[in-house]
Amino acid sequence: MGAEQAWLLAAIPAGMFFVLAFFGRYMPRQGDYLGVLAIGTSFVLSFFVLADYLNFYDFEAGHTAIAESIKWSTIGVGESAFKLRMGIYVDQITIVMFGVVTTVALMVNIFSIGYMKGEPRYYWFFALLQLFVASMLMLVMADNLLLVYMSWELVGVCSFLLIGFYWEKRSATEAAKKAFVTTRVGDVGLLIGIILLWRATGTFNIREIIEIAENGGIGSTYLFVSVLFVFLGCMGKSAQVPFHVWLPDAMEGPTPVSALIHAATMVVAGVYLTARLLPLFEVADGTLLIVTIVGLVTALLTGFMALAQTDIKKVLAYSTVGQLGFMFVALGSGHPDAALFHLMTHAFFKALLFLGSGSVIHATHHNQEMDKLGGLWKKMPITGTTFLAGSLALAGVVPLAGFWSKDEILHATQNWDGGWALILLGFAAVMTAFYTTRLFIRTFMGEPKDRDVYEHTHESGFLMTFPLVFLGILAVVAGFVVWHGVGTALGFPGGITEFVFLEEPERYHINWALAGGSVAIAGVGIFLGAWMYWGNSTEKSTRLANWNPGVYDMLVNKFYFDEMYQKAIDRGVLGFSYLVAWFDRYMVNDTGVDGSAQVTGYSGYILKFLQSGRVPNYAMAITLGVVGLAVLGLVVRA
Amino acid sequence: MVPLENYLVLSAILFSLGVYGVLARRNAVLVLMAVELMLNAVSLNFVAFAAYLDPDKITGAIFAVFVITVAAAEVGLALAIIIRMFRNSATANVDEVAQLKW
Amino acid sequence: MATEVLWWIFAAATVALSAGVVFSRSVLHSAIFLIGSLAGVGAMYVFLTVDFLALVQFLIYGGAVTVLILLALMLTRQGATGVPEAVSGSQAPFAAIAGGGLLAILMGVAVAVKWPGDVSDKPSHISIEVMSKALFVDYGPPFIIASVLLLVALVGAIILARQEEGE
Repeated sequence: MGAEQAWLLAAIPAGMFFVLAFFGRYMPRQGDYLGVLAIGTSFVLSFFVLADYLNFYDFEAGHTAIAESIKWSTIGVGESAFKLRMGIYVDQITIVMFGVVTTVALMVNIFSIGYMKGEPRYYWFFALLQLFVASMLMLVMADNLLLVYMSWELVGVCSFLLIGFYWEKRSATEAAKKAFVTTRVGDVGLLIGIILLWRATGTFNIREIIEIAENGGIGSTYLFVSVLFVFLGCMGKSAQVPFHVWLPDAMEGPTPVSALIHAATMVVAGVYLTARLLPLFEVADGTLLIVTIVGLVTALLTGFMALAQTDIKKVLAYSTVGQLGFMFVALGSGHPDAALFHLMTHAFFKALLFLGSGSVIHATHHNQEMDKLGGLWKKMPITGTTFLAGSLALAGVVPLAGFWSKDEILHATQNWDGGWALILLGFAAVMTAFYTTRLFIRTFMGEPKDRDVYEHTHESGFLMTFPLVFLGILAVVAGFVVWHGVGTALGFPGGITEFVFLEEPERYHINWALAGGSVAIAGVGIFLGAWMYWGNSTEKSTRLANWNPGVYDMLVNKFYFDEMYQKAIDRGVLGFSYLVAWFDRYMVNDTGVDGSAQVTGYSGYILKFLQSGRVPNYAMAITLGVVGLAVLGLVVRA
Repeated sequence: MVPLENYLVLSAILFSLGVYGVLARRNAVLVLMAVELMLNAVSLNFVAFAAYLDPDKITGAIFAVFVITVAAAEVGLALAIIIRMFRNSATANVDEVAQLKW
Repeated sequence: MATEVLWWIFAAATVALSAGVVFSRSVLHSAIFLIGSLAGVGAMYVFLTVDFLALVQFLIYGGAVTVLILLALMLTRQGATGVPEAVSGSQAPFAAIAGGGLLAILMGVAVAVKWPGDVSDKPSHISIEVMSKALFVDYGPPFIIASVLLLVALVGAIILARQEEGE
């Protein structure tokens, strides 16, 4: 089993999807253990792939990727026929994604056995999880844009189906629709971008496109436009502003879904694709600036929005979007290593946080509002501790994983254009620390707000706590892979920055000023949060909210993005439909259908007077006709 | 003698007069007379061509013979119709026999 | 020379008589003028040295057809009211235009075209042998059919015009 067989990682869950979809309901326990088995196999196989890859890897010799492909189809005939090949491409980015996806997916699967117990359509949930994992893995190892697009759509479909899993609830179906439609808008951009790139290069293969672009084979404006279109797709899938509206609503889905899809894997597809195509962004001037700006705006806006949310899942959702913004800022600064590093650590601790909140939700019988929670640490120690680990990681406290990756991102932006990006990012990081602290305190500490809820809570079972602990450990230690020593000990050529890079590997050195700054930022945020909510009192925060109700309303209503979109759609769609209806009634019906009949009738009404019944009139007509024809004949002959 | 064009012009004049008569007069019998005039003009035309251009096989004159024959038959029939029409509506006015109108 | 002058006289007469047919106020006058006009055409046939045809013309047209027409005129006399009816129909001006246009075209063509063949001033004398040969040999079948046609027409006319029982 080598890296050439990496496609098995996707094929096994895909096969299991079919098994579970068709036969799941007849199996004992509805096949949930089969799901774990399939993803577990992929998880194990990923290590084999990793070993084989590390064996092969040699930067000096240019051995950085393993590619396998098969002839898929030939369109057209003869010399100019288009030969389409489909295959896999395993390089450093792929390896990182393999690790992230299989690990988180396995943990989520195990967690779901405990969490989803007793839910309707139990087998279908696991089937969909399998399909999702298969599609996501396919997405990260695809070697051509067509395959990427296909997997992109597939993960979108899985997201739709899973968000709307409780389709009896109207809000769930609405959220699923919203997610799909919003990402669809981005997907159109992606498709246009793919087509544009194909037109310029004649191929869908990512490697070939990058090579042609780097050699100047694509016109600069053309490349700029196509890359922007592709980035539109990434923005949609990764919920960047202005496409961010679907992710908070997607929390309607079961919490394991939120953990897997909307925190760790699917939403990072945009980050992945941008990282994969980063050489193109490098060649096309200005695109990197746009990426950075998008990321910054998103990080700041969603940070603000998270401050006012009271549903624990929604806070985490906005946090996810914000962290994705951080990743895009890193990409925009030309540092895919920082972005993928943060992707990895974020996947671990965000999935942990979501699963933790899932544990809370399950224990409190679906109480998600922070207004009703509080002081749960005593009742749910394991959940609380792991949640603390995740929160500290998210806030960026040393030496947890989040600190190292966030620091890397700050390091990436420091050389940027006067450092304003760094300052803004730092501010976003302060907000992150603040709302994370707020979340933790209001959920687990202080006095419980609702006595009833508090009494009935109890720690969750092993199936739910095991993933929490596993991910908790990862959230603590995963950051250390940035060190050269840790990397080589694990078999890598070095730390993560020496493994994933844009141009060449660079060893990690601590920038003490920046590191100190990061610690300070986290500290400030936590301090503010703790001071405001100490003992889970909302007294100070309520006073702050009332101090400026206008601003508070803006935050609670998420800057009215949803309302704006609804208005625009109403105006646009309805306006257009009025136009079409007008056209249909007056042009097609009255003029075309009725009109032609009326013209016929009316002309008949006029022309009937030709039939006077008087022979001399007819004789005159004949004569005039003859004279006319004679004249015509003479004129033509002349 | 006279050139061919003379006969052609003469027959043209007679024909045009006949056309005017057919279109402008109200009495049915008069219309018939004008038709006879037209037929004669045509025959004259044919015979003139035959005499000047084809004196060996005077096809035009034979044509004229047949025209006369058919004209005679036609006059008989047309007059029978006019008499019928007169009996029905007591008028020989072509303008007033207009039942086949819209 | 003399024949030419004669020809012009006869031509003018024919035109005048034909104009009389068409423009006359009284139908009976028109009928008389018609006899004259047909006779004029017959004279033209003489000038074209087709004697046989001239004879046929005089006999049939001048004799039979005009008698038929006069008979019909007598049978279809309008009511003897004192008011003279209008002679010209409703579309007289257009008729004039049509007739005039036709005349212009025909005359124009007649004069402008260079007629093929040897158009000598003199038409050669056409003997009756030539005519009879053409009529009975070359065009025998049409001749017989024409006679059948006449028979049918006469029978038809009789049927059309006869008076029913009790009319």
